[in-house]
Amino acid sequence: MTEKKMIPPNTLLAFGVVGGLLGVYLAYFLAPMNPIFVFFGALGAVCASVWGADVVRRVASYGLGTGVPSIGMLALGMGIIAVLFGLSLGLGPAGPLVAFITSCVIGAIIGIISKKVVGMTIPIMVSATTEIAGAGALLILGLSIVIAGSLDFGVVVTEVITTGFIMMIYIAGGMAMLHPHNSNLGPDETQDRLLALSAEKAGIAVVLSGFASVAGMGAMAVTMLIGLFIWYTFWGKYYGFVKRDAYKVIDVGMLPTEEEMQ
Amino acid sequence: MIDIVGLIASNLIWILAIVIGGTLISISVHFIPVGGAPAAMAQATGIGTGTVMLAAGAGIAGIIAAGAVMAVNQNIWVVIGAAAVGAAVMLAATMIVATWIYAYGVGVMPVSAKVKYDPITKYRQDLYVSQGTEGHGIPTVAYVSASIGGLLGGLGAGLAYYALMKVSTLPVTNLNLVAVVSTFTIGFFFINSVIPSYNIVGTIEGFHDPKFKKWPKAAIASFLASIPLGILAVVAVASLASVGGL
Repeated sequence: MTEKKMIPPNTLLAFGVVGGLLGVYLAYFLAPMNPIFVFFGALGAVCASVWGADVVRRVASYGLGTGVPSIGMLALGMGIIAVLFGLSLGLGPAGPLVAFITSCVIGAIIGIISKKVVGMTIPIMVSATTEIAGAGALLILGLSIVIAGSLDFGVVVTEVITTGFIMMIYIAGGMAMLHPHNSNLGPDETQDRLLALSAEKAGIAVVLSGFASVAGMGAMAVTMLIGLFIWYTFWGKYYGFVKRDAYKVIDVGMLPTEEEMQ
Repeated sequence: MIDIVGLIASNLIWILAIVIGGTLISISVHFIPVGGAPAAMAQATGIGTGTVMLAAGAGIAGIIAAGAVMAVNQNIWVVIGAAAVGAAVMLAATMIVATWIYAYGVGVMPVSAKVKYDPITKYRQDLYVSQGTEGHGIPTVAYVSASIGGLLGGLGAGLAYYALMKVSTLPVTNLNLVAVVSTFTIGFFFINSVIPSYNIVGTIEGFHDPKFKKWPKAAIASFLASIPLGILAVVAVASLASVGGL
């Protein structure tokens, strides 16, 4: 590995929490004025996914003993339960914040249980499960507001859950958090390449949820364009990092034809 | 704002059912022969994917079965029985296809590396293990074990699903209720299948594997973790009835 210019965990934590909550709340308060502003929720979801991917990277590099996808599925599982709980209380604007805090609390409980009862030896297990649960909740909130155009419990239930888009959020969002480490792990793993891949995957999730949005044509078009822009930018960045980190990139050409094989 | 304490107090029995469901899911994972990436290359006994994918696949099949039955019959035994059979059938189908692929595609025979004789068929195992591998394919004992695991996991998922459906005052055919309860149960199932997979660490072959003895730790962990999850789920599902327009 060449020179290491790592972003410290706390910076990414602040980026994820502040960016995620800011995005969700900007969307929450601006969407009643003009539904186009739901795209802020999508930006919040991207921040949360980048944060989550970095946590997965830190915890999974200790070796979970099972596949990396498990921790991504765990994050979204905790996030879904916390988000539905937080929104169901009918607290109005406090709902998303309650959902986020509840998610962190569940994450901490699961982390403590996996350390004390199951006996996992990963030192950062408790903080990691707390953080991924929070990131999972913010990701679900951000993409939900894009689809439903509101975080009112009734609207989220009918537009996101009953329509089944929650499973798209679950898998596409989980993919943005777990896939970067799963595909980049190894001795040549670098943080910037991994985070670029996470943002690229989150871009795909934003395009999909923009397509599923019921907030109006304007919101649909703007969110999908932003998603495509994120995807294109970070795909390019990721490709650049791959070329930088690879020993050599060579073009192998097409498969030989039958005559050439003779 | 809703009365959280009152909701919890009046639904204690259903919270208990959810917690038992979570514990059953956790135990069920230990029965399933999970080979992970090594099994995908036929270098370890079991099905070639992770615990979470297999257990969750079985659990979701169980939830679909429970949901389909619940719309026509609300007897608890019918619902959780359908869930158990649905999950077991899903796992059995996965394994029989995997066995065909291992036998006719990869060209290895189903053999266990953890025991000398298969406890069910009494066939000799150790002679047939390829060198440098931890067994391959899905031998009879692992197949039977996974079917038991599917039954238990489906039972757990069905129990949690049934309990959450009973918490709400909405009719069981209300689409929104079914969707919210299914989403909760799936999230719940994922959490309770990840916890035991951290307990197993790597691969397991089934109830004849020495690692199977570790199951009480995961069962306690899932029991404890399911209590807060059950409470949150009950509050959210119960408050669904007070939302207008559903």
